[in-house]
Amino acid sequence: MESVNVVFVGHVDHGKSTTIGRLLYDGESVTDDRVEEIQKYAEELKRRFEFAYFLDALEEERKEQMTIESTRVFFKGKNRLYTIIDSPGHKEFLKNMLTGASQADAAIVIVSAQEGIEEQTRRHVFLLKLLGIEHLVVAVNKMDAVRYQKEPFERIHNAMKEFLDSLGFDLDKISFVPISAIEGENVYRRSTKMPWAKKTLIEALDAIPIKSRELDKPLRFVVQDVYEVDGEKIVVGRVESGVLRKGAKGVFEPSGRPAIVQQIRVYEGERSEAKPGECVGVISSVIPRRGEVFGLAESPPKKVTEIKGEVVLLLDRLRKNETIVVKCGTAAVPARVQNILEKIDTETGAIVEKQPSVVDINEAALMVLSLREPMVVERYPDIPELGRFVIMKNGKNIGAGVALEVSS
Amino acid sequence: MCVGDYLDQLENQSIYIIREAKAQFKKPAMLWSMGKDSTTLLWLCRKAFYGKVPFPVIHIDTGRKFPEMYEFRDKWVRKWGLNLIIARNEEALKSGMGPEKGKLACCTALKTQALQIAMKKHGFDALLLAIRRDEHGIRAKERYFSLRDANFRWDYRDQPLEMWDQYEKASEEATHTRVHPMLHWREIDIWRYIKREGIPVNPMYFARNGKRYRSLGCMPCTNPIDSNADTIDKIIEELERTKTAERAGRAQDKEQAFMMQKLRALGYM
Repeated sequence: MESVNVVFVGHVDHGKSTTIGRLLYDGESVTDDRVEEIQKYAEELKRRFEFAYFLDALEEERKEQMTIESTRVFFKGKNRLYTIIDSPGHKEFLKNMLTGASQADAAIVIVSAQEGIEEQTRRHVFLLKLLGIEHLVVAVNKMDAVRYQKEPFERIHNAMKEFLDSLGFDLDKISFVPISAIEGENVYRRSTKMPWAKKTLIEALDAIPIKSRELDKPLRFVVQDVYEVDGEKIVVGRVESGVLRKGAKGVFEPSGRPAIVQQIRVYEGERSEAKPGECVGVISSVIPRRGEVFGLAESPPKKVTEIKGEVVLLLDRLRKNETIVVKCGTAAVPARVQNILEKIDTETGAIVEKQPSVVDINEAALMVLSLREPMVVERYPDIPELGRFVIMKNGKNIGAGVALEVSS
Repeated sequence: MCVGDYLDQLENQSIYIIREAKAQFKKPAMLWSMGKDSTTLLWLCRKAFYGKVPFPVIHIDTGRKFPEMYEFRDKWVRKWGLNLIIARNEEALKSGMGPEKGKLACCTALKTQALQIAMKKHGFDALLLAIRRDEHGIRAKERYFSLRDANFRWDYRDQPLEMWDQYEKASEEATHTRVHPMLHWREIDIWRYIKREGIPVNPMYFARNGKRYRSLGCMPCTNPIDSNADTIDKIIEELERTKTAERAGRAQDKEQAFMMQKLRALGYM
């Protein structure tokens, strides 16, 4: 069975949790005692039975009727298993949205047919672009409130298309569906009230092709640790791209030491090769340190001291010349904010200020980071797994970025 | 991810996190309740470290576990050469603490406080646990690396940014970091993996006389479910059909509204 991670984003109160609750309920993915618990709870509080309660586990979330933390639930499609990540709509919870969305293969953008595109709709979509999520389903919700008319749907459809296009999304990878989550129209079952709808939400989800990591990308094996097992040193790590093969001749960067992969070891024994996502051990002719990356001699990992990248800050602000730590793969290196080139509005993606001295929380910027010592960072479009990084300040992860240009 | 098999994906992600915990912390330990989940975690740790678990395994002993659980524990401690630490709150046990005094009080004294005592004594800076997101709504909110303050409290309103496998370690004011390498597994995945790998499981999970335990805890607070599933295949089949929650037989989740949330805020697993 295929497994797909999907994230739900959109403006607060446009119905993300309700849509997921509906998918779970109609798809019979919710346990009986959960339904009972929620019914009981709703009765106690004299509230309407809310599908959103399937997700909102925390006491205060129910009281305030919003989802604070990214929650995950599992859900079955036609031939797939979905892990659905519900993201919060409030601005201050962007870090939770990113924590969830960073693990997603595709996104569902919920837009209310009544309210249309709002601040958070745009902000979330901008961040999806930054995270490299290409496949979107735009669900125009609350169609019941506009009497299931095609016209309001078409209006949002067109406005959204224009916005997505301006951010550089490939529109062929995006589909649009009208739904009413509260009434269950066109979510799991086809709606008789909207015969003009081309597909249901679940059909649109099932139609998203799964991104498979390309095997023909250059090999990158990231070192996590070195273990001594029965007197032998095993270099453990994960293949991030390409294929690791026994006998491979290459180099560990940033130390630049050439090495030969003598054996590939897992607990069960020897392997002849390892593919992206696999955690294996290597018996190598040289012993690297944690944070190093192995690649083939003809396409070695990029050892860099400068990154030009797009960064979004979620928990703290950053000033020019400030010292931070850049974490990429298993490496963490101190760095200086050498230059802030442009401040980007996370709502529109537009450049709002050139050469600002400071970037605030929930703002994005194009900046140059100068690393105190060399580390391996790839250009995000080349090898995404090593082209994205997290920024740490005072021991806290405060933001994330993607490398657009790297140099040494 | 190219790894074709879904179970391989789950396994690789867990091994990556387990190895990150070993690399990033000075003195980690793991919790083992002898249940199916933590035994699977133990199995993953054995695989991650090529057979030999390099840190202690803690059993929180409330003195009220099922005899089969103690037998199971001692057998595999010997076979796998584990460094076992038994965490007990002797003082509370002597004063007669039990579920009669309230389940919140009992779980807190015999589990949370027993763990606190052991953590203090040994000075562990990280604790690996086998909790999963699909077990309980509140556990769905967790991070892979989750910080605990000096009082073991979990601040679920202010959790770290955790992206692209860049986890955040506890800072000085925090006591320790909880590491959850199996957060992304489901109950049915555990059983499918147990079957594939041949992981030993406590016989209490299999039906006898029309009853089996789906989740194992302390004797007074754990109830079996009606079931005829007496093999792993039948358990998997049962889970494919069931609409009852896994922890339906666990009393501490139910006594009052948001019980689990309250327990966890106090440092419970």
